[in-house]
Amino acid sequence: MAESFHAVPGGAACYFEAAQAGVVRSLISQVAELVGSDAGTAAGTETVDDLEAQLGLSSHADPPDDPVLARLFPDGYADDPEASAEFRRYTEESLRSGKLACAQAVLDTLPPTGGEVRLSEPECQQWLRALNDVRLALSVRLGISDEDEDLTANLALDDPRAAYVWVYQWLAYLQDSLIEALS
Amino acid sequence: MGVAPVEVEQPQTGEETALDEPWVTIVWNDPVNLMTYVTYVFQRVFGYPKPKAEKLMLDVHHKGKAVVSSGTREAMERDAETLHGYGLWATVSHDS
Repeated sequence: MAESFHAVPGGAACYFEAAQAGVVRSLISQVAELVGSDAGTAAGTETVDDLEAQLGLSSHADPPDDPVLARLFPDGYADDPEASAEFRRYTEESLRSGKLACAQAVLDTLPPTGGEVRLSEPECQQWLRALNDVRLALSVRLGISDEDEDLTANLALDDPRAAYVWVYQWLAYLQDSLIEALS
Repeated sequence: MGVAPVEVEQPQTGEETALDEPWVTIVWNDPVNLMTYVTYVFQRVFGYPKPKAEKLMLDVHHKGKAVVSSGTREAMERDAETLHGYGLWATVSHDS
């Protein structure tokens, strides 16, 4: 847990052990797969107008069923489902491709075997958002609803998610160091 | 609630009325996003200096939500979309 991002000319750098790189790559890939799987402009969907698809509009009106996706693509209006549906229609696909691009940037710059990772400032920005998406996804899977709660209290001793509490906290530490390096 | 006025570029057609303007973007508190991260996002998205961004973040944190920008509905939707891109939960509301 000792290694964290530090500022270097033009960006930031951090050393990753192979195991750490493996965890980050795995989580980033899982979130990217989930995000990519829910695209609302699938060519095979009969209900999607060709022009709409070309304009990058989503066919989605309702929030996603999957709670992780619902957190990553929240409603744009708190109490107006119609306005939210329109907002979703116009913004969801571009948000989706933005998140996928950030995830890809991490995969492109973090070798599976780890090592010294040196990022340009734009790559730092992409890492920041990709790591945040992973933390949001983990928080849903871990059932985190209160920032003060004891994270381990939710989980039984043999719950396989328990390992992810450590990862969730480590990613917060990593994200904090990246923000510090960018400041 | 300390919210800095945001300059919104308006086309000068003279047709706008006050009704076009009073839309706001609200950011809601959540248990995941780091305080440092929220502060950083406010600096980056709105160009607020760090103390102002920090105060806004604390408003969100302590009050449950805070208005982060105001202007036309279109501008507020752009802000909300940008903030969603950073993983914050933002909603657009008519400030009445």
